[in-house]
Amino acid sequence: MGIVIAVISGKGGVGKTTATANVGLGIALNGKKCIVVDFDIGQRNLDMILGLENRVVYDLVQVMDGDAKIKQALIKSKVSENLHFLAASQTKDKSVLTSEKVKALIDELKEEYEYVLLDAPAGIESGFEHTIEFADTAIVVVNPEVSSIRDADRAIGILDAKSQKVKDGEEVDKFLVVNRINAEMVQSGEMLRSDDILDILNIKLLGKVPEDKGVIDASNQGKPVVLDSKSMAGQAYTRISGRICGQDIGMKDIESGDSGVFKKLAGMFR
Amino acid sequence: MFGWLNKKKSASVAKDRLTIAIMSDRESNAEFPFMAELKAEIIEVVKKYVGVKTIEITKEVEDDMEALSIDIQLESN
Repeated sequence: MGIVIAVISGKGGVGKTTATANVGLGIALNGKKCIVVDFDIGQRNLDMILGLENRVVYDLVQVMDGDAKIKQALIKSKVSENLHFLAASQTKDKSVLTSEKVKALIDELKEEYEYVLLDAPAGIESGFEHTIEFADTAIVVVNPEVSSIRDADRAIGILDAKSQKVKDGEEVDKFLVVNRINAEMVQSGEMLRSDDILDILNIKLLGKVPEDKGVIDASNQGKPVVLDSKSMAGQAYTRISGRICGQDIGMKDIESGDSGVFKKLAGMFR
Repeated sequence: MFGWLNKKKSASVAKDRLTIAIMSDRESNAEFPFMAELKAEIIEVVKKYVGVKTIEITKEVEDDMEALSIDIQLESN
């Protein structure tokens, strides 16, 4: 039986879809069978990040409505045979989701895959609620910035109120990914530290991802940045995926900055 | 002259502001998780008699008095 992980953010534009693609591929590269599902109905994007936009024939809504079988709709990744992908519908809107349909789909996917990753829509309306309803655990993606963190707290609140696991008296574990960290700004006190964000949101840390030009370059090409072992963000996603797969990987301090001169300067003023 | 040294860094300002904002978000959500449904039901009832444009429900606290203030804007004919 696989584990269902919802990737949520509250606010849009923080890199949630990028995180889903990279964590999904990272898990697959660890040799685990993984499927990533785009639940952002009406705003299909995960296909672009994965570089699979030309292969989409059937989408999630068609599968849930019984117009296509899962086997017909799932798309195999070009880089890892362990990674499959289910696309969001581009024409429908989020209101087509219902609890029964979502549950049936997730139950079927759990049978086949070790990890089922759900890319939740931004915001906290019904589409979001259906995505998190049957999740075992959640990855919360934030940027070190006030609106992102506040909205993430709202999303966590809804998760804690609406998830089936919570209704059954269990807890949904929530893990934080802090995305787009700028070490220099953290050092000069102009950007929140991951520790501060953890204090505020009161959840566990899964990983820190630095701001990295490589992410946009990767999305331009449809090759998730986790494939680029030279990129800082790619390395961060490799560590995060390893942790999810149960490896003991220490938290790398990417907030201190690596420029020697800068470190010395920062030390002087401490 | 060294005023800039005492100036609070913006990250710590952000942390303070967020802590307070999120605390009050959590409180209001915990107190009235039914707010959306309440709103919808009131609209349904009032709509039976007159046209409703918008409805605003706010909680008002004065000393130890608490009140729900319901402001219903009617559609103009």
